[in-house]
Amino acid sequence: MNCEDPHHCVTCGDDGIPERVVAIDEPRGLALCEREDGAHESVEIMLVAPVAVGDTILVHAGTALARLTGAEAVR
Amino acid sequence: MKYVDEFRDAALGRLLAGEILNAVEPGRHVKIMEVCGGHTHSIYKYGVDDLLPENVELVHGPGCPVCVIPMGRVDDGIAIAQEPGVILTCFGDMMRVPGSDGTLLEAKARGADVRMVYSPLDALRIAKANPDREVVFFAIGFETTAPSTALTLKRAKAEGVANFSCFCNHVTIVPPLRALLDSPDLRFVGPGHVCTVVGARPLEFICEDYNKPVVVSGFEPVDILQSVLMILRQLGEGRSEVENQYKRVVPYEGNLRALEVMAEVFALRPHFEWRGLGFISHSGLKLSDAYSDLDAELRFAVPGVRVADPKACQCGEVLKGVIKPFECKVFGSACTPERPIGTCMVSSEGACAAYYNYGRFARERVVV
Repeated sequence: MNCEDPHHCVTCGDDGIPERVVAIDEPRGLALCEREDGAHESVEIMLVAPVAVGDTILVHAGTALARLTGAEAVR
Repeated sequence: MKYVDEFRDAALGRLLAGEILNAVEPGRHVKIMEVCGGHTHSIYKYGVDDLLPENVELVHGPGCPVCVIPMGRVDDGIAIAQEPGVILTCFGDMMRVPGSDGTLLEAKARGADVRMVYSPLDALRIAKANPDREVVFFAIGFETTAPSTALTLKRAKAEGVANFSCFCNHVTIVPPLRALLDSPDLRFVGPGHVCTVVGARPLEFICEDYNKPVVVSGFEPVDILQSVLMILRQLGEGRSEVENQYKRVVPYEGNLRALEVMAEVFALRPHFEWRGLGFISHSGLKLSDAYSDLDAELRFAVPGVRVADPKACQCGEVLKGVIKPFECKVFGSACTPERPIGTCMVSSEGACAAYYNYGRFARERVVV
């Protein structure tokens, strides 16, 4: 899930990746998040704050763009 | 994973395919453009088009950030990369986009310091770690990516990172959609992640001015099938509305904080060139006056020369949905993902690369 993948670049592809918040660094506006494949990354959360540990957020290019909500998740 | 697995459910996909068959009007040809390159990739990765009847045709829009970058802007990026002391950072696919004299990857091979990053924040980290070098971020992308660049520029300014700047090539989605709406039969699967930022409201003109339905869609196969069904139902019922299939992510009003940050950091260019589509008014972003000190185009001399696309390349017709990728003269022969001539063959979100990677060299299906 990175630009070295010969078949898919998540950043170039306007992709949003659902990630689970593992820890929050409020002073720096960052959160440690876990992806579906178990990898971790530091994510900018200013656009979706406040978030809580355990929330699922949609991440693009290292920035969270939305919080995923359970009520609308399955239609 | 929650929010992913349920939208890849094969049984649900087959159920929706059956409903699409019931909803389509026999003999009526419906052309649906998926605006976003992410949709194109999913459609071919999961074989969504194989579940559709022949008279429901998916055409592929200009929503791949890499595919719409004109050659002249690649040349400008290479010129910046070749300035003494510069580290040019960019996303992975951008490194393989051909300019008039090769790619950024080839410029790197010739000695330029070009580095791939996953996010603009990574570029800022490189700037902080190399205070004696000028670090430039080659920014591309639609409204999905622009907030990330904007937040990084705000951080750079707040932290006083003077050796960081941005070569801004961000574009906006609505102007090219207007340019495409002259095509009479086109309906749209709307760009889900762009709408996460801008909301669904900016698409209302498609219904109001052109009397056509549009459905904002998620990116999993079930999402796309459901969106196609929603468009067919609107057509069948004579409705033209903006519907939001991707409610689990897209608020109708968008992300207001993201829009505020973008308004602070960016300003609209009077016009911007799109690969294959030409110059489109108010379709590109530059840094606002308040952030002009971080504008690489003002910090470095860039050639700014317009370069015509290679004659053999038919990316423009592919991006407008006029031809299918396999109908291009050089598809799969002179132009391949390993040696692309056109931008649509570079990124996996490009229609040509998606066709090539998933073996779509022709299309033969049964008419309903």
